[in-house]
Amino acid sequence: MSKLRETLGAGAFPVVVELKPPKGTGVDEMLAVVKALAGRVTAFSLPDNEHARMRLSAIAAARLVQEAGGEALVHFTCRDRNRLALSSDLLGAASLGLNNLLLVSGDYVTLGDHPQAKPVYDADSVQLLQIAAGLMDGHDSAGLALTGSPAFFLGAVVIPEAEPLGPQLMKFEKKLAAGAQFFITPPVFDLDKLRRFREHLPETPVKLLVSVKVLGADEVAQAAAGQTRQVYSLPPDLVNDLAGKEPEDILAMGVKAAGRLVRQIRQEKLADGVYLKAKGRTDLFTQILEAAEL
Amino acid sequence: MIIAERKPFAEIKAMLAPYKKILIVGCGTCVAVCLAGGEKEVGLLASQLRLSLGLEDKRLEIGEITVERQCDLEFLRPLCDFTADYDAIVSMACGAGVQFLNQLCSLQPVFPAVNTTFIGVNNEVGYYTEACRACHNCYLGITGGICPVTMCPKGLLNGPCGGTVNGHCEVDPEKECAWSRIYHRLELEGRLDNLREILPLHPHDRTTTPGTVIHPAYKRRYGLNE
Repeated sequence: MSKLRETLGAGAFPVVVELKPPKGTGVDEMLAVVKALAGRVTAFSLPDNEHARMRLSAIAAARLVQEAGGEALVHFTCRDRNRLALSSDLLGAASLGLNNLLLVSGDYVTLGDHPQAKPVYDADSVQLLQIAAGLMDGHDSAGLALTGSPAFFLGAVVIPEAEPLGPQLMKFEKKLAAGAQFFITPPVFDLDKLRRFREHLPETPVKLLVSVKVLGADEVAQAAAGQTRQVYSLPPDLVNDLAGKEPEDILAMGVKAAGRLVRQIRQEKLADGVYLKAKGRTDLFTQILEAAEL
Repeated sequence: MIIAERKPFAEIKAMLAPYKKILIVGCGTCVAVCLAGGEKEVGLLASQLRLSLGLEDKRLEIGEITVERQCDLEFLRPLCDFTADYDAIVSMACGAGVQFLNQLCSLQPVFPAVNTTFIGVNNEVGYYTEACRACHNCYLGITGGICPVTMCPKGLLNGPCGGTVNGHCEVDPEKECAWSRIYHRLELEGRLDNLREILPLHPHDRTTTPGTVIHPAYKRRYGLNE
């Protein structure tokens, strides 16, 4: 069963928090977040070698999260595995009770910490959705029958602020056709952009989780210097307010802004739930939830 | 055409250190156009070796020759008469030429003097860009004449990744996103419907190396069923 699916289905505004699988085997810090927040949030999200930086396996981390009492949302990137490995790991995840998936292409290897690694991309994110949907239907990507099939809840990414938007919407429709059951956006800071994007959504309801992020001092400094290059925009007023402040003050102000955004997204029904990115820190997640009155 | 870059001089010099008499073989086709291994580059490399070794009081006898195409037996076979007198051969052709020459000259080691980089185009003199990955399954008819396999670093077949910013590539912000280009081109041509269908997984079995192509008209000659 998937609490994430049930909560989304019931219109009960799920909250997913993003954890940071460690670079190493020290999982205590990651699991402490689960123990502290399992009763307050819907699911814990485990990125798969996020930003092409090698970390502990998302599948292993997700299983540990579930053993610690949380529900996991596992990311699968197309960057590091071919169709055999992806399919086999999808079945492996299902056998470990991991059914919430976020299927992504994945940041390119040269942007990460193993820039000389071979990028795979045997499948793209649309094809990976098809592979996962096929497994749910009882067959693999070669059309061969499975013994026992998984019951995934398939997530994909959509970029509301994509520029140009046309290619993004084309891919969004393909992801829907391929079997995506819910979507997660990158961080949104400017809700007007989200409102405008919603006008492009199909009439058929699509479950959407919007990411809300707490910026760190390094990100603020880069944005203030005009060096940031993201798929989301940062309002200049926000950057001006945060620039030059002490790192902990930046986080504290970011937490308040995140809380306000979550509250507004919920009140205006701009999304069906939220996905919080706050450095994997319990204290920051808790403060956002309090600021958002959740 | 095939684009190559000459190897660093120190690497070539180190490979040739054990030999007294070498033949540098240029190739008059792709590597000549991209200024890496044609007749002029053979002369340059020979001069560089003579100068460098001369400064060290070492002697290396160097022969120079350039053939039209090292990847073609017709042009390569006559070379066999020249190679017997040399201790080592240096090929300035792409990897295909080096290996073909190596196959023919079984008595001497054959060394590459260039790194073969990609199949590309000659934009302007000295400026070459990759254009084809030889993927065995050309999508250009669907994708508006812009290759997603080559022009998208991830080779994505069904649309842009999430890293496109203002129509530019996540991997190299100087470059336009291949999928933005594909979309706009098809939009201009009124062919956006091309992108409705999900392209299936690429048939990588066709790209198993080493590949072989036999022209249908010659199947009987090579003992294959027509």
